[in-house]
Amino acid sequence: MKEFELEPGEHVVLEARKHWFLFLVEILPYAIMGIVPFALPKLLVLAPPMAPYVALFDYHTILGRAGLGIWLLVTWTSAWGAFTRYFLNAWVLTNQRIVDIKQRAYFSRVVSSLFLSRVQDVTTTVTGVLPSLLGIGDIKVQTAAEDIEFVMHGIPRPEQMRDVILKYVSIDPKSTGV
Amino acid sequence: MLDQPLQPFSPPAALLSYLPSGFTSGVAVSWVLYAVFAFWAIYTAVAVYHWMKYSHASWVAFPAMAAHFFISFALMSYALSGNAFFLTSYLP
Repeated sequence: MKEFELEPGEHVVLEARKHWFLFLVEILPYAIMGIVPFALPKLLVLAPPMAPYVALFDYHTILGRAGLGIWLLVTWTSAWGAFTRYFLNAWVLTNQRIVDIKQRAYFSRVVSSLFLSRVQDVTTTVTGVLPSLLGIGDIKVQTAAEDIEFVMHGIPRPEQMRDVILKYVSIDPKSTGV
Repeated sequence: MLDQPLQPFSPPAALLSYLPSGFTSGVAVSWVLYAVFAFWAIYTAVAVYHWMKYSHASWVAFPAMAAHFFISFALMSYALSGNAFFLTSYLP
């Protein structure tokens, strides 16, 4: 990570990103877009009034092949862009602080640090059947100043993350170099 | 209720008939493809810049970029010539 330099004696404890299931949900529209050009001709055949339109999906012509190629290229590139944004959003926990990296869009990046010595409360929230089964939840870290709080949505195993944060919060501040 | 069956339309053929002489449908398709590839190149350059700047140390960075280039070039080749290399067996 180039956004922040580790202080002497500081080391990365863990990195967290959104749960993989939420990423799959995010790229589901692209998967559907990728299937549409192959599924649509088969579905049109099932509806007799629409059957003549099947001829428009002939991918053996130059125009059809180029159209399919462009469609798949746009779909693939969009899905890859979604993965890039997913990967660039992260929480990094070091033995001294929590770094929240938000990549809202390309060229729009916010990196904030919260020193563990200021942490007063860590709250995890898991709501719903699927999040409970898959271990997806939110984690909120608050400081003594009421207006400062870090929230990360949809992270895997939030309780485990909370325990790790509290473990490093409870370490004597002198040893953290703060 | 429709009282007549739907008829397939054919805009590409109709539009291509208005092209100036010497400017064939093949040339038109090629230019459209090159325009799309130019947008792809700009988008990819921006994404690669972010990977290299912020996640160059991650083991995911280079495989992710390599996968993007391999699959994109195969799809471009398919659009231009019908040969999609390792993806050929999955495409019509």
